[in-house]
Amino acid sequence: MRRIRYLVEYCFVRLLLFLLDRLPLSFCARLANGAADIAFRLHASRRRIAIDNILVSGITADRREAERIARASFRHFARLVAESLKSDAYFSRHPWTECVDWRISPELQQILDDPSRGLILACGHLGNWEIAAQLLSHRKPVVGITRPMNNPYVNRLMQARKPRNRFELTPKHDANMARLVSALKEGKVLAIMIDQHARDRGMMIDFFGRPAATHTAIALLHLVTRTPLCFGACVETAPMQFRFHASGPLRFEPTGDKQQDIRRILEHLTRELETAIRAHPEQYMWGHRRWRDVKPAPPSGTPALR
Amino acid sequence: MTREEILGKLRGIMGRTSQAKVDWSRVNEQSSIASLGIDSLAMLDLMYDLQQEFGIEFEPQDVVNVSTVGDLAAFIEGRMGA
Repeated sequence: MRRIRYLVEYCFVRLLLFLLDRLPLSFCARLANGAADIAFRLHASRRRIAIDNILVSGITADRREAERIARASFRHFARLVAESLKSDAYFSRHPWTECVDWRISPELQQILDDPSRGLILACGHLGNWEIAAQLLSHRKPVVGITRPMNNPYVNRLMQARKPRNRFELTPKHDANMARLVSALKEGKVLAIMIDQHARDRGMMIDFFGRPAATHTAIALLHLVTRTPLCFGACVETAPMQFRFHASGPLRFEPTGDKQQDIRRILEHLTRELETAIRAHPEQYMWGHRRWRDVKPAPPSGTPALR
Repeated sequence: MTREEILGKLRGIMGRTSQAKVDWSRVNEQSSIASLGIDSLAMLDLMYDLQQEFGIEFEPQDVVNVSTVGDLAAFIEGRMGA
């Protein structure tokens, strides 16, 4: 039964890709907005999660404003998918250098220009992280960690389809430290999402003032390899126009108190992510469950924790 | 520091890092690191502790592929003598 469902989904995605390849970008963006509006209306649980998360974060206390941001976030995510899938063709016709405004320090610039130096890039589900990796990979090879899709047919299709340049994806289950450490040693950028729920192996770090289980690997990799670390986000400023902002490079020295060292790094990176989200709340993926212990907001709009 | 002292410290560090139920007193040079519940993430924890506990600098690449406790002890011994 599951196989049939996967095949039906696969056929739907093939059809979608067929259309995306033939329709102009502006039309695809409108189509994505329409699809997002339908999903926002029909996918009640995801809509609720997004609105609750916005209220819990304190971005706004007004439920209607939270709904507006949530809808915009759905639209942004749908456009992100469409634009990412069309980006290969787009960048073959438009110079990538004209699509991105780099806002990075001269020191970070030097690291990016030096093929022998690795870099750990902390990012979140903000802006267009898919295109960010592609754009960055023009300057330095990028390694990202990804969770395979549940549908193996669609997963294979998307993996084959994703624009590569020098952007290499490592499945999460296969992301062993030897591989990640080697990537840094080879002068690559290791891009790690810092806003994924880490289940019982994470450290509880406040995200918008509420504890969220956060993966510790990024901090440990920095402390152990002493590879420079930065936080980056690639926000969309116009269709297929991006501003890539990165802070740092950051350097944290190990003190011998491992837990405290990890906490210091994760708190710093999380603050950076919060600041970036506050500046572009519509471009953050609010629909994922960052705080697993957050109860749905009561009708008054006041968020509640269990 | 003697090899036995290094092994003793390693047992302590690994015991704190690993989430597996292991009789650490029975861990010897032939014990495979993977069998002690040291997975990929725990390996990073372990590397931090090794750098701090033994006061040695090393390339993480030198350690990530070490397979037994004895290999790790020999590596540390070599670094401390270097």
